[in-house]
Amino acid sequence: MPRYELALILKAMQRPETSAALRRTVETLMERGAVVRDLENLGERLLPYKITKHNQRHNRGAYFLVDFYGAPSILTGLLDHLHRDVDVVRPTVLKKDDQVSSTNCCGQQQ
Amino acid sequence: MFQVIGGRSVQVTRLLAPRRAVLVEAVRGRKSRTDPVAKSKEGRIKVPPPVDPREMVVLKERFAEYQLITRALRLEFKEEVLRKKYEEETGSLAEERARQEAEEHCALMAFNNQENLRMLEVRTLRVQKEKEEAERKQVEASVQREQQQQEFIKEKEKDILKLQEDAKNFITLENLDRRIEDALDNPKNYNFAIDKEGRVVKQTMLQ
Repeated sequence: MPRYELALILKAMQRPETSAALRRTVETLMERGAVVRDLENLGERLLPYKITKHNQRHNRGAYFLVDFYGAPSILTGLLDHLHRDVDVVRPTVLKKDDQVSSTNCCGQQQ
Repeated sequence: MFQVIGGRSVQVTRLLAPRRAVLVEAVRGRKSRTDPVAKSKEGRIKVPPPVDPREMVVLKERFAEYQLITRALRLEFKEEVLRKKYEEETGSLAEERARQEAEEHCALMAFNNQENLRMLEVRTLRVQKEKEEAERKQVEASVQREQQQQEFIKEKEKDILKLQEDAKNFITLENLDRRIEDALDNPKNYNFAIDKEGRVVKQTMLQ
C-alpha cells in the first residue's frame, strides 16, 4: 500500500478537546482500513494567514502530522469527512515518496 | 541460316561488296507524266552526244586496259586483307596464343580453388571462435542476471524485516490514547537555519 501523510491543522482548543479530535480522526482512518504509523505534533502556532472555516475566523492553529498506509480509494472519502469536521481547519493528504539515495546529491562541492 | 555479322567481318563484307550500285534513284523533276510538253521544247528530238569512232576505239582499248589493271590490284588487295584475317584467326600463332591462354586460365582456376579452400578453413575457425565467444557471453549474462535477482531478493527481505520492526511501533486502538498524550506532550520542531558556510542551527523559537 502506498504511504501517505496527513498534515492536519486543528482549531486552537484545550487539551481534552484536541485529544478528542485527534482520536476521532485516527479512528476514522482505521475504520477505512488504513494503518496508522505515527502521530507527530508540530505545536500550536500562528497560522501564516487568517483562515475562515465553518463560519469561524482562525488566527492560531495546532499542527499535527499523521503517517499512515492506506489504499488510494479511501482518500476522497477521507478528505470529504475531514472537511466536514468542525474542529478541522485544513486537512492535507500528501504522498510519501521513498527515500532518494543521497549519494547522487550534488551539494556544495569545494 | 542468317548469321549475325559483327566487328571486323562487317568491314570485310563492305570490301567484298560490288561498287557499281547506284545510290541515286531516277527522279522526274518538276513535271509529272501527264503534264504537256513546254512550248520551247515542242519539236525536240533527243539526240545522243556525237561520238568519234576512232577516238572511241582508242579510248575503249585504253579504258579496258586501265580497268583490268585496277580491278586486278583491287582484288589483290582484297585477297591480302582476307588472308591476313584468316591468318590471325586460324594461323599457327593464333593456336599458340589460344593454348597459352587456356594454360593461364587453368592455372588461375587452380589458384582460385586453393584460395577458396584456405579461406574456407580460416572462416570455419573464425565462426567457431565467434560461437564460443557468444556462448560464453550468454553464460556470463545469465550468471549476472542470477546475481542481480539474488541481490534484489535480499534487498526486499531486508525491507520486509525493517518494516516488521517498524510495525511494532504503529498506532493501534490500545496505543491510541497514550500516543495522543505523548504527541501533545512533545511538540516536534523541524525548522532549522543554515548559513553559507554550512553551519546548521536547529534551536529555533517555536511560537
